[in-house]
Amino acid sequence: MARRSWPWQALALLSLAILPAAGEALYWRHQVSWTQPPAMDEIPVEQARHLRGGLIWVDARPQPEFDSGHIPGAILLNAEQWDALLPAFLNAWKPGEKVIVYCSKQSCGASREVARRLREEANLSNVFVLKGGWEAWQQSGK
Amino acid sequence: MNNRGIAFSVGLLLRVIVAAVFVCAGLVKAINPIRFTTDIYNYHLLPWSLATVGGFYLPALEVICGLALLYRRFSEGAMAVLLGLVVVFILASITAKFRGIDVSCGCFGGASQNFTFTTHLLLDITLGVMILALGAIDRRLRAMDVKDR
Repeated sequence: MARRSWPWQALALLSLAILPAAGEALYWRHQVSWTQPPAMDEIPVEQARHLRGGLIWVDARPQPEFDSGHIPGAILLNAEQWDALLPAFLNAWKPGEKVIVYCSKQSCGASREVARRLREEANLSNVFVLKGGWEAWQQSGK
Repeated sequence: MNNRGIAFSVGLLLRVIVAAVFVCAGLVKAINPIRFTTDIYNYHLLPWSLATVGGFYLPALEVICGLALLYRRFSEGAMAVLLGLVVVFILASITAKFRGIDVSCGCFGGASQNFTFTTHLLLDITLGVMILALGAIDRRLRAMDVKDR
């Protein structure tokens, strides 16, 4: 069989990959929504301010941004220094306390990542992400 | 060892490394496609429905192309697709950085969640350079074959 040129090879590979992808999509069909992302447990600033019961704030931004200003009482816990910072967070957190994670911007994915890891790796249940992040907090205080 | 032997050995080493990286990266992501879909969605470049398609398709493509890189008949096509993927990953990361979006690259599933932007970019650029070098070595080997006939 003659060897095909690279565009043909690439097309064949791009087509071939559809098969396992379709198989996997079929396997996961009950776990994934094709129309909307899973609920991110976002909480608006005003609602967060009026939450009753124990509450702990988690700042998921890099250390320099945390040092330049953060929500009073917030604990620094970001993905970059996860292993180093997690013990301090766990020491500060009391069972039953709600956790609200925030980042610098509304579009910041770091807070979602930290919230996910707190749920999956630290087995915490009441973990929320602050809608609008640090900027929304600052604007609400003006 | 003559020039051909050296080129062949270096080419083989690069081929195995690049193939292993993409096969591993694809398998790690294929284990948890929902997580990878979320990683794609967090770049804010695609709607959720397309991110889901990418979440299932891209890991499969990485594994298939990684394996095809080891098969001479498809290695050029695999290199083209993988190089395209690397360029897309680099552009998506740079775009996200400039828009102030702080994302986990998702390139190696959970293993890459602590990667900084710089680490991610360096990894992608290294892979891109390795693929280009592999292409150049393959062309050189073919030219040597033609010359020897």
